[in-house]
Amino acid sequence: GGGEESGGSSSEGETITLRAATGLSAQHTWWEASMVPWMERVEELTEGQVQFESFTGGELVSVPDEAEALETGTVDVAIVLPIYQPDQFPMAEVTMLPLNHSDTLIASNAWRKLLESEEELADGQTYTEMQFGNFKVFPISTTQEYSISTTGHEFNAVSDVEGTSLRTPSRIHEIYAAKTGINSVTMPAVEIYDSLSRGTFEGAFYSIADWTGYGFQDLFRYTLTGINFGHFNAFIGMSQDKWEEMPENVQEAMTQANEELFESGAQEWIDRAEEIIPENEANGGKFVDFADLDPAVQDHFNQGIEETWTDYATLLEENGLPGNDLVKVWRDLLIEEGGEVPEAIMDLE
Amino acid sequence: MNGVWKAYKIFHYIKLAGIWISGISVLLMMLMIVYDVTMRTFFSSSIRGGFEIIQNYMMPLVVFPGLAYVYASGVLPKMDLILEKLNSTAQRILIFFMLLLELFILVLIVQFSWEYAMSGLERKTAFPAAGTLYPLYPLFFLIPIAFALIIVENVFILIKNILEKNPSLVMKETKSVPEEVL
Amino acid sequence: MDNLLVIGIILAMMIVLLIAGLYIHSVLLASGIIGLILLEGFGILPGLLGNEPFNRVASYTLTTIPLFVLMAQFILQSGLVQDIFYMVHKVSKGKNSLLGILTLIIGGLLGAVSGSGTATSASLGQVAIPELRKHGYSAPLAGAIAASGGSLSGIIPPSIILILYGVATETPVGSLFVGAFIPGILTMIVFILVMLLYFRLDRKKRSQIEEPVIQDAPLPEKLSVIRLLIVSVIAILIVVVIFGGIYSGVFTPTEAGAVGAFVGLIAALVLGKVNFQFFKTSVVETVKLTGMVMIIMIGAQIFGRFVSLSLLPRRLIELIEPIMDTPVLVLIAISVVLFIMFMFIEGAAVILMSIPVILPIIQELQVDILWFGVFVAVICTIGLITPPVGLSVYAVAGVSGISSGSIFRISMVFAIVAMVVVCGLMIAFPGLATWLPNSM
Ligand code: NA
Ligand code: NA
Repeated sequence: GGGEESGGSSSEGETITLRAATGLSAQHTWWEASMVPWMERVEELTEGQVQFESFTGGELVSVPDEAEALETGTVDVAIVLPIYQPDQFPMAEVTMLPLNHSDTLIASNAWRKLLESEEELADGQTYTEMQFGNFKVFPISTTQEYSISTTGHEFNAVSDVEGTSLRTPSRIHEIYAAKTGINSVTMPAVEIYDSLSRGTFEGAFYSIADWTGYGFQDLFRYTLTGINFGHFNAFIGMSQDKWEEMPENVQEAMTQANEELFESGAQEWIDRAEEIIPENEANGGKFVDFADLDPAVQDHFNQGIEETWTDYATLLEENGLPGNDLVKVWRDLLIEEGGEVPEAIMDLE
Repeated sequence: MNGVWKAYKIFHYIKLAGIWISGISVLLMMLMIVYDVTMRTFFSSSIRGGFEIIQNYMMPLVVFPGLAYVYASGVLPKMDLILEKLNSTAQRILIFFMLLLELFILVLIVQFSWEYAMSGLERKTAFPAAGTLYPLYPLFFLIPIAFALIIVENVFILIKNILEKNPSLVMKETKSVPEEVL
Repeated sequence: MDNLLVIGIILAMMIVLLIAGLYIHSVLLASGIIGLILLEGFGILPGLLGNEPFNRVASYTLTTIPLFVLMAQFILQSGLVQDIFYMVHKVSKGKNSLLGILTLIIGGLLGAVSGSGTATSASLGQVAIPELRKHGYSAPLAGAIAASGGSLSGIIPPSIILILYGVATETPVGSLFVGAFIPGILTMIVFILVMLLYFRLDRKKRSQIEEPVIQDAPLPEKLSVIRLLIVSVIAILIVVVIFGGIYSGVFTPTEAGAVGAFVGLIAALVLGKVNFQFFKTSVVETVKLTGMVMIIMIGAQIFGRFVSLSLLPRRLIELIEPIMDTPVLVLIAISVVLFIMFMFIEGAAVILMSIPVILPIIQELQVDILWFGVFVAVICTIGLITPPVGLSVYAVAGVSGISSGSIFRISMVFAIVAMVVVCGLMIAFPGLATWLPNSM
């Protein structure tokens, strides 16, 4: 890709045009607050030597085909969403494990440390080598924490939780739903709004900052805060081959730009959520703190959290992957950054 | 030409098998969705992973196996502006040109979709549904097979045009019967 | 090779291949593939040709195409629609023009349960054309009525196009649906008026050339009152189940395809029409039509990838840069560009490739994004009945055997009038799209 200008022999000064893509919309936080500023900064740092030609909203590549498109050379750089492909990246879902407390900055920093970790996880390989060995990985923020939101259904007793239909966005949420008696509904993202508004099901696991992508700020009336259902992750990826073609100054510029912009990318999630909450409250939305729930309901949710961690670890171990070690590494990174998990997870050894 | 027709008849049975697979898949797909809706409405539970299974298994099974039959049935649209107005020689040249062009793109599709299927096999591509991974790569092979069958159809048409006098883009003329039936 | 040169070569090639009579899907595939090779070399092909056919087809939302067609087949094979048209004919007391109006209104109603203009057109083509033909409509006009009536599904909510637009622009899909309601009805009214005009002209021409054919058309076997009663009850039940199911949230508009087909099957059972032949015909016709639509969509997808990579949409946008300070002119220019794109390319593909480029301009002009979405959906709906790539017309031609060229000659007029009137009114009175969502 990228045309003849980006051949392997590009010497300094020659213009390099890179094709950048995402299946997400152009307004998505990851594109707008992480990828675009990164591309602009790279252009700036290389004084125009590197140019980007960008394609959003599935114009060239759809979610979740970005990783494949990098490998086939259809695009040169893309936002990769590994959680959507648990068959290829089974250990990427670790950031979706539910917690008692964290925020975008905590999870983002932990995610970045996990990606950049030099520690061997298994077979002499680091986490990134095991999962994303084919790619040059530039960490970007995770999403804001996932919450449970409903169109009005409240969780006042354990029986209110059991049998409630919620849309589950990942394998981890499906495990969690099964543990807590929640009926998990899967459906294409584009159909959620319509189905929710007509009451086909009652709510979804979603991050507040992501609501506007689907108009949920007009729909949700009840959101549980103070408990958190994980963080979706992503990274800016290039194929190793493409990366190695880049002249050294370009590689340095890309790395520098990524480091400079990492935190502001994460901050944008927090800012967006803070804008949406009052808007939703004005529409009659209610935000309920987990600590204010009936203790039996709290226990029910917490029990689910613990079992989800161990189930996920077991699932990985059964497939010959270091699940037990991975969840412990992730727990420690989170705690280091200020996150909180239930006691039983702390006791995992 | 007799031998060709005999071979074509055998080929016809292969296409027929394909359209039956597609047809049964349509009915199954209908039943699955109806069952899912019923379960959700009355028992507040849905087929676990129903949407992913329908999307990744049923849709390709509805579309690809029957594709060669569809192609041969003459239902596929084209703009019939000049072909019939040309004399027989010009028609023949044009038809040869179009068949070769068609074969060129079909061969490319078969080649690359085959490579894609093989790489899927290698990676054991799967999709997640209701906490389980279901293998996806076997479905990828439907595509090179479907398009290869269309290549075979086109080769028959090419042979027919070489052996017979009347240039034609299909094996069996359907003579636009439906319009007269109306 | 230079992008503009490649675009020029490919567009010229497309036109030549279309005129030569190559299959539409092959034209799209050949232009797309050769364009990609000229632009990027063979190296780009594995990543796009290998997976696009599967990815295009493996979509839950697209189940509506086979399932709404299956519903149409079941209902058709049960004889229900023939009976209804017979009743309408009785009620209209030989006023044949009413039948055309009714078909378009049924198209609009079907649009309220179907998200796909192509599937609805095919259904209408199957049930309505034989009846229209019996009552003095020429084959091309009957085809155009079915195609345009069916295309209304593209704008009357639910609509796949509006859903795609909503996702691409982060506009609430529900508001888009509400906003599209009035323009949808307006489009239907325009279609009805144009249809009436054609019907008059058609009749005049016929009575001059041939002997008058407008005697009472030969009717099917006398229907008993009890049968008519049963038929009416079943028909009303089907509509109630589908509308009621969707609007009460029992199932999604997509699932309605399956439920509708199932209800159609039960209706056929009640009417005693189900046997092996019933299944065989229904299922084979469904697969044929689905295969046809999907192979064109695959072609459109690959052609769309070429268009994206050629940066054609961006070049077009650059062209209109100088008139940015006259928003109305820009809007007209954008609608003309979109109209042309929808003429050549399948609707969903156009949305995907153009919105990322057009949206920033729309925002800069401070045009209401919801309004623009509805506006785009209207143009897209119209694009379903314009040559050379008019999926609604092809669907109708496919099921009826009427040549697509002859239908296009009429449906193109439907399209141009609707384009000028509906889009013109929407530009003059933006409230047509924004009033309803704002007042709810
Ligand atoms: Na519709
Ligand atoms: Na068109």
